[in-house]
Amino acid sequence: MTDLPALVIVFPIFASIAVLLVGLVRPRTGWPIATLASIVQIAITGSLALRGFNGDPVQYVVGGFTVPYGIELVIDGLSATMIVLVAVVALGVLGYARTAGPRSNSFYATYLLLVAGLTGMSITGDVFNMYVFLEITGLTAYALVASGKGGRSALAALKYLLVGTFGASLFLLGIGYAYVATGTLNMADLSGQLAAVGYTSSLVQAAFGLLVVGLFVKIAVFPLHTWQPVAYAGAPDAVSGLISALVSTVSAYALIRIVFSVFTVDFLLANPFARTVLMAGAVVSIVTGSLLAVAQSEIKQLLAYSSVSQFGLIIGAIAVGNDTALTGAAIHLVGHAIMKGGLFLTAGLIGTNAGSRTVTEFEGLGKHLPIGAGSFGIIALAMVGVPPTIGFVGKWYIALGAVETQSWPLAAVILLSTLLTLAYFARLIERMYFREPAVTTSSVETTDATDAVNVATDGTGTTPSMGMWMTVVTAAVLSVVLGVVAFEYGQLLEPTIEHLLS
Amino acid sequence: MTDVTSLRPIAAVLVSAIAVVLILASHRRPDLRESWTLLAAGTKLGIVGSMVPGVLSGQVYVTDIGTFVPGVRFALRADALGVLFALLASLLWLVTSFYSIGYMRGLDEHAQTRYFAAFAASLSSTIGIAFAANLIVLYVFYELLTVATYPLVAHDGTEEARAAGRKYLAYTFGGGVAVLAGTVLVFWLTGTTAFTPGGIAGLATADPVFGRAAFALLAAGFGVKAALMPLHSWLPDAMVAPTPVSGLLHAVAVVKSGVFGVARVVLDVFGPDLVGDLGVGLPLATVAAITLTIASIIALRQDNLKRRLAFSTVSQLSYIVLGLAVLGPYALVGGLLHIPAHAFMKLTLFFCAGAVHVETHTDDISNMAGIGKRMPLTMTAFGVASLGMAGIPLVAGFVSKYYLLIGTVSTGHILFTGALLLSGILNIAYFWPVVYTAFFESPERDDPKPVVENVLGGRYADGEAVTDGGHAPDDTDDTAGEKDDHGYAPDHGGQGPRDRQETQANLHPDHGPDGKLAWEHRGWGGEESTWFMLGPILFAAAGSIVLGIVPDAAVFLRIVRLVVTSATGVSV
Amino acid sequence: MIELLNERLYYLVAFLLMGIGTYMMIDKSNLVKKVIGMNVFQSGIFLFFIVIAYVSGASPPLVTAPGPYVSPLPHVLILTAIVVGVSLTAVALGLIVRIYGEYGTLDTTVIREVSEDD
Repeated sequence: MTDLPALVIVFPIFASIAVLLVGLVRPRTGWPIATLASIVQIAITGSLALRGFNGDPVQYVVGGFTVPYGIELVIDGLSATMIVLVAVVALGVLGYARTAGPRSNSFYATYLLLVAGLTGMSITGDVFNMYVFLEITGLTAYALVASGKGGRSALAALKYLLVGTFGASLFLLGIGYAYVATGTLNMADLSGQLAAVGYTSSLVQAAFGLLVVGLFVKIAVFPLHTWQPVAYAGAPDAVSGLISALVSTVSAYALIRIVFSVFTVDFLLANPFARTVLMAGAVVSIVTGSLLAVAQSEIKQLLAYSSVSQFGLIIGAIAVGNDTALTGAAIHLVGHAIMKGGLFLTAGLIGTNAGSRTVTEFEGLGKHLPIGAGSFGIIALAMVGVPPTIGFVGKWYIALGAVETQSWPLAAVILLSTLLTLAYFARLIERMYFREPAVTTSSVETTDATDAVNVATDGTGTTPSMGMWMTVVTAAVLSVVLGVVAFEYGQLLEPTIEHLLS
Repeated sequence: MTDVTSLRPIAAVLVSAIAVVLILASHRRPDLRESWTLLAAGTKLGIVGSMVPGVLSGQVYVTDIGTFVPGVRFALRADALGVLFALLASLLWLVTSFYSIGYMRGLDEHAQTRYFAAFAASLSSTIGIAFAANLIVLYVFYELLTVATYPLVAHDGTEEARAAGRKYLAYTFGGGVAVLAGTVLVFWLTGTTAFTPGGIAGLATADPVFGRAAFALLAAGFGVKAALMPLHSWLPDAMVAPTPVSGLLHAVAVVKSGVFGVARVVLDVFGPDLVGDLGVGLPLATVAAITLTIASIIALRQDNLKRRLAFSTVSQLSYIVLGLAVLGPYALVGGLLHIPAHAFMKLTLFFCAGAVHVETHTDDISNMAGIGKRMPLTMTAFGVASLGMAGIPLVAGFVSKYYLLIGTVSTGHILFTGALLLSGILNIAYFWPVVYTAFFESPERDDPKPVVENVLGGRYADGEAVTDGGHAPDDTDDTAGEKDDHGYAPDHGGQGPRDRQETQANLHPDHGPDGKLAWEHRGWGGEESTWFMLGPILFAAAGSIVLGIVPDAAVFLRIVRLVVTSATGVSV
Repeated sequence: MIELLNERLYYLVAFLLMGIGTYMMIDKSNLVKKVIGMNVFQSGIFLFFIVIAYVSGASPPLVTAPGPYVSPLPHVLILTAIVVGVSLTAVALGLIVRIYGEYGTLDTTVIREVSEDD
């Protein structure tokens, strides 16, 4: 199967078309086809990942054009991680979405297109191709956000679209600059050419700035995060779970690619200012994201701001740029995807079941919804970084990396982020377990609030299915278990990181 | 020392973790649920106890699970120091389990399943701390202990309890961050975090600035749970927890895990020699000496019995830290021996306070006049334990304090000797009134308590100016704001109207002579309470006497000697 | 100065368009105008790419035309980007139709007021 790298992108696209076509004949076939496709996708990505982790990166040239003119697909440890993550999360969320909805065939078709876009972004070796996949991802994500009922989700999607397009356009402009400087678009080729042009050339610097800022928008780094809380809170629960777990994650992966595969560490060394900007972005994101999260009253917005803060850690790791920190970044990307996706789905489950969508409505949940509250609590603690969960391991690597390069302010902020994260999650945990709901007003208020919020949710009135419970509990279990196997993963990743930094 | 691969350390950790699941599963059947607790406690004690003879003969039991993060094994090592702490915690857990059952059922508390589950989880983490083979594993369990004890602190679900819970989380996670930062530094400097008797070799050659920073971070991080001033203020607030929690966790497991962390840092990470060379022992000892003096003074002014005990705990913990920081072999023996000695005595005291609360709903010392007639056995045990606290011979506290005194004198730190003696006197000053009130006063005729009611005993009191409860000028700033936020009325003098009423309800006018208010008389045969509570009280009190009379027969002193010998090379 | 400006006039126009587009996206409260702003912004970028491909005195990259040719690659890229831009606009307009159906207005300030009233 030498064409597997192409197939991994093309397959979900075909599946998406299949969903639409079969849907014309038999309307209720979207979910089974999408699920089947996700399982096959896991198999394909799995076999690719085996090859990607096993020695040299898998390289594949699309359509037989020679590199650097043709589009190249590259699968190393890092991109293999991403495609497997995308496939697995996609399947998990499908398990959730079956009853939680949205259930139309066009939803599943868009869903699979998003999977294709994310997979493409992960394995492409060409910057313009990355832009195209970035836009495919963006377009499908906008459409998915808008798949909720009512004006709120449409408005959220439009805001997401405007800001997201702006970011992607900056990325495109950055590609233009890089092309002007070098005349090539292939990543591997670019890194050589850029070095030849000289890292202090203002063209190269401008290209770096535009590409990084464009991706900052997509990752939602403060202060370019404004789309994120709106979009996450406006989307249906299943969609918030999916995009919170994957879209920013893959964008952050793209940033790692751009910074280390295209511009390389030497660029950061030659331009200390670039590193300073990255570091400042990290610190500001971590601190401000957490503070904003504390101020939120709606759960999904709180979780969205928490993402802003957590991606600060990843940016921090990129700024540090040594092997320990990058291993940490990879671990935290995976961990955060599982944890944040899990949190959004759990929040959705709680919202569907108990109508609790604001911080105050979480009162007394520990009693009414022990499994939901328990899962939420465990993942929240993992997010805080209580060992031995995955949240701790990622933080340990990144903090150690920061100390190794003696970036003391960053190291301090990373360590203190534990407390910042605690500040907003402890509030919820306390309410779930140590507060009784205000009895007299709860019934009236709950329905009101649910109505107000439910414009964004499709799952009104459905009772949680087995699939929803399974997904949520699995996420909770994974966030603990992955912490234990993170070391083996780090070992596997070692050659990739070395290659990335060489 | 020989390493023996064994599953016993991990089994000791897991046994109560498994109990958590069983406890949660049998939440509908309280009797079955409690039997899981007792079974787990017994098994745990058995497992830990089975390692004691081996450890005394120089063996170390090791469970190595695999690599956790690069360069760090997730391993458990039951060495002498670890077994000391684990044995103490598991022995007292068994005792506390009985007491908990009596206490929780006596008060008909809510959420008992959560309570027992969290208790078992806490013990799992505590044993993990005891057996951790390196700083990372220690940190893992240290954080888990915080998580597991939080539900116990916030158990009541009242605003006061939630506030205490928040404060507890903020302080201890803050400490956790410092520990993690210190650990990262140590790992960066040496490439390892494994505990090595006498210290990690690489640290001695590392940059002393970073070495000192790492020591400061670690000491401050563990100092939070060890309640070193000014990081102690969570502890008195956490007294809103049910009394068994205050007893076992906030006098034995949690605070001792902080002290134990300091001990590991001093003995096995830096080593006594390096701590001396870096010059970081003396500042730590100074902080401890200041803490133990000031906390004793503050304790004088607490009218709530549990808060007085809490400040006594703050003070006593610093004895241990002082002993560790002074670094002389005798001081080390004294400090380490004070871990079990204080545990037995303080547990007795807390159990007594809890028994009084369950039986009579009395929490304030000023309401306890004559209570010795109502609860003779309990208050006698209280008297014995408080004598021990003060360091009177024949009770546990004497032996450890004696070693501490010798230790400070022999290393030439006369100032610390003075602080220890002063604090001993203050101990008597704040414990004796309790015993005196209980046995020699009556509700009708109780003496005025100027120290508790007025600033500086009323000497400079100005009735108008002390609406906030006031604070003595020599108090630290921590206590200044505190009097407002722990739920007492602003003019609280120890006799809030509700306390008064609750207590009055337990007083029987017709039992006293001449129809006066008096406590009902109960005999010495145990009818004052249930044996679920009296048994543990008497056991703990007996334990503190045994440790005081025949310290050599009790296994703890032998373990302590072994630890100090292997760390310093000096046989004591 | 003038000479430099003359030489770089195309770049200037491209960046001017981007600036106008950005300004419209931020400032206008009408959603359709925001989308138009987005299109103007993207057009600026497209023009920038076309400009960088230009070689003075060269002919279009057709096999029949004599060399030298302008660089064909940016043209190809921009064809793709235009397609992407069109689909984005389509999605955006679709959303706007829905928003109008829901709120009866396209003015963001009004929409904000309406949704706060809920």
